[in-house]
Amino acid sequence: MGGNGPVLEAVGLRKRFGDLEAVRGVGFTIDPGETYGLLGPNGAGKTTTISMVSGLLEKDAGEVTIAGLPVTTTALEPKRLVGLVPQEVAIYPDLTARENLRFFGRLYEMTGKALAQRIDEVLAVIGLSDRADDRAKDFSGGMKRRLNIGIGLLHRPALLILDEPTVGVDPQSRNAILESIEELSAEGMAVLYTTHYMEEAERLCDRVGIIDQGEIRAEGTRRQLVESIGEQDRLRIEASGPLREVSARLGELPGVTGTSAGDGVVEVLADDGGAILSPALALLAAAGVAVSSVTIEEPDLEAVFLHLTGKALRD
Amino acid sequence: MRAAWIIAMKDLALRIRDRSLFVLAIIAPLVLALVFDVVFGGTVGGEDAGLDLSFGVVDLDAGPLSDSFVSTLDSIAADGLATVTGFGSSAEAVAAVEAGEVAAAFMLPAGMSAGYLAGGGAEIEIVGDVDAPTTVGIATSIADGFASASRTGAMAAATALAGGAIGPGDMAEVAVEAAAAPPPVTLGNIDAVTRQLQPPTSFVAGLAIFFMFFVAGAGVTSMLEERSEGTLGRLLVAPIGRGSILAGKSITSIIIGVGSLAILVVASAYLMGAEWGPPLGVAGLVVSAVLAVVGLMSLVGGLARTPEHSANLQAIVGVTFAMLGGTFVPIAPGEGILATLQYLTPNGLFVRGLGDLAGAGVSAAVPTMLSLLAIAAVAGVFAVVVVARRLQR
Repeated sequence: MGGNGPVLEAVGLRKRFGDLEAVRGVGFTIDPGETYGLLGPNGAGKTTTISMVSGLLEKDAGEVTIAGLPVTTTALEPKRLVGLVPQEVAIYPDLTARENLRFFGRLYEMTGKALAQRIDEVLAVIGLSDRADDRAKDFSGGMKRRLNIGIGLLHRPALLILDEPTVGVDPQSRNAILESIEELSAEGMAVLYTTHYMEEAERLCDRVGIIDQGEIRAEGTRRQLVESIGEQDRLRIEASGPLREVSARLGELPGVTGTSAGDGVVEVLADDGGAILSPALALLAAAGVAVSSVTIEEPDLEAVFLHLTGKALRD
Repeated sequence: MRAAWIIAMKDLALRIRDRSLFVLAIIAPLVLALVFDVVFGGTVGGEDAGLDLSFGVVDLDAGPLSDSFVSTLDSIAADGLATVTGFGSSAEAVAAVEAGEVAAAFMLPAGMSAGYLAGGGAEIEIVGDVDAPTTVGIATSIADGFASASRTGAMAAATALAGGAIGPGDMAEVAVEAAAAPPPVTLGNIDAVTRQLQPPTSFVAGLAIFFMFFVAGAGVTSMLEERSEGTLGRLLVAPIGRGSILAGKSITSIIIGVGSLAILVVASAYLMGAEWGPPLGVAGLVVSAVLAVVGLMSLVGGLARTPEHSANLQAIVGVTFAMLGGTFVPIAPGEGILATLQYLTPNGLFVRGLGDLAGAGVSAAVPTMLSLLAIAAVAGVFAVVVVARRLQR
């Protein structure tokens, strides 16, 4: 491993298929324990990017290093540090879950008791311990997806790459998958996660790169991205009392950029809705306003994506 | 190499769980060979109990030339390679052939020696069993060999006379002596005719190689299946050389191919009385033939884009090679370009190699093994290039 530097560093990646330039100068870094999301619609270049990052596909230009080791399609050392969970379920249906894991473990030079023990651990993580010796073809779609993930993390990679791992998965399995990824990240594994589900990116990712038409249009934490487009939180207070008067006083609180009062509702625009919630409620109480409900509407990555690309994520 | 074995063991486990492998590799060729043997065993080849080298001879000449010919037959019989029965008349000999007591009979006509010594022609008539074409062919070869030696004897006598070494009165004796010694014909001169397999062996060998094309082709086809199912991507990002993947697939095909042929050899010997020849030679031919077929099918599969495309291409190639190789319709040695093309196919070479093995031992089959290995090497190199390019995409 490359000391305290990033686990993954990608610079200026380019890939062309015939007339189509699928990836155009993509670059990003991922630190240990960080989950980085590539958020973009279908056809944005996510899968091509991770194919180059994982050494599956030769790049036309650019550099990728994993723990300081240059990645190519033939370099074996960096491949030992990567676990790939492809978008399609890439397992052998006629092998059992345990046999699938054992086969791929042996390819990563795991053997004997250490391999058997690790297989048991992974089966527990993906919730398939009780079905370990059943053939994968008898599994539900969600169970196959979980086995697909288990194979990727079997050899304890420094970087786990997941390419839209929850596509076509039922809500229960989806939640189990997301929880597994959160646990892995908490254990210090670097994760590169591609998705076109905004809510998954918001839940899992420390940083997000918004990718469209082969380019990263913006990158940062969710809040940085929201702030970059000037969107603000909206505090909606349903109440009764002298609302117009109180609305003007709310506008004087630090961080508040605007207020409005209507029929039983006061709305407050702020950079950080959570930060002004407490002083706002105190002010309302002091003014004799009876509050019946409060909601904070935060601008989301969908709004950011719409702002940056002019289209919705699922277009 | 370790990764190739891991992949091969995984593929073997998957193939063994797929019961169609046993049908394709063992049951189908064995059952079809049994059917072919029952239906055609008495007419194709005819001598279903092996070569019947039982000859009859009728010496109506009783002269020095016919004595020399009978001596030739006696020397073959003395070597234990054939039996020779004398008959007093042509009618007795013909009756013996028709009764199946002998497979072929030589008729040495009266005046044969006198005509020869007078410088004229001499004729040997052969009567043969229609159900024993190989034995009749051997009888013809013996007569041809004797005729050739006789011409040499006449020439030697004429040369001696011209040189003044003998007088005109000694010429007949010298000609007969020259024709008679050394023995003019041995079975070593006719091994091309004896190098034929019995029908059960021939059917099993031909059909086994035919089905081997499909069994061996499944190796590369499974790589295309892995591509479409996504597992190939997983193999490509694993810390293994890309050559390990093709090597693993090839090892699987070779193990299955050699295993199925070995089972067929043993099973056909017990069930059908097939006689394969020396085990060492059979093993060499089996391995060479499997390598050749795996090389060819890897190349064909490497040219395909999808598993279905690969299976179709392999079926076309398999059937074409079987037809050219004489699996379905035997090709006689005299059938021009077809006879040549036959020995450019693993099918034709394998059956020929087994024939060589049966007729003349392991050393005679070595050239065929080398030909099969040459096909394997050439096709294998092209397959590696083609498949490596596929894996880059």
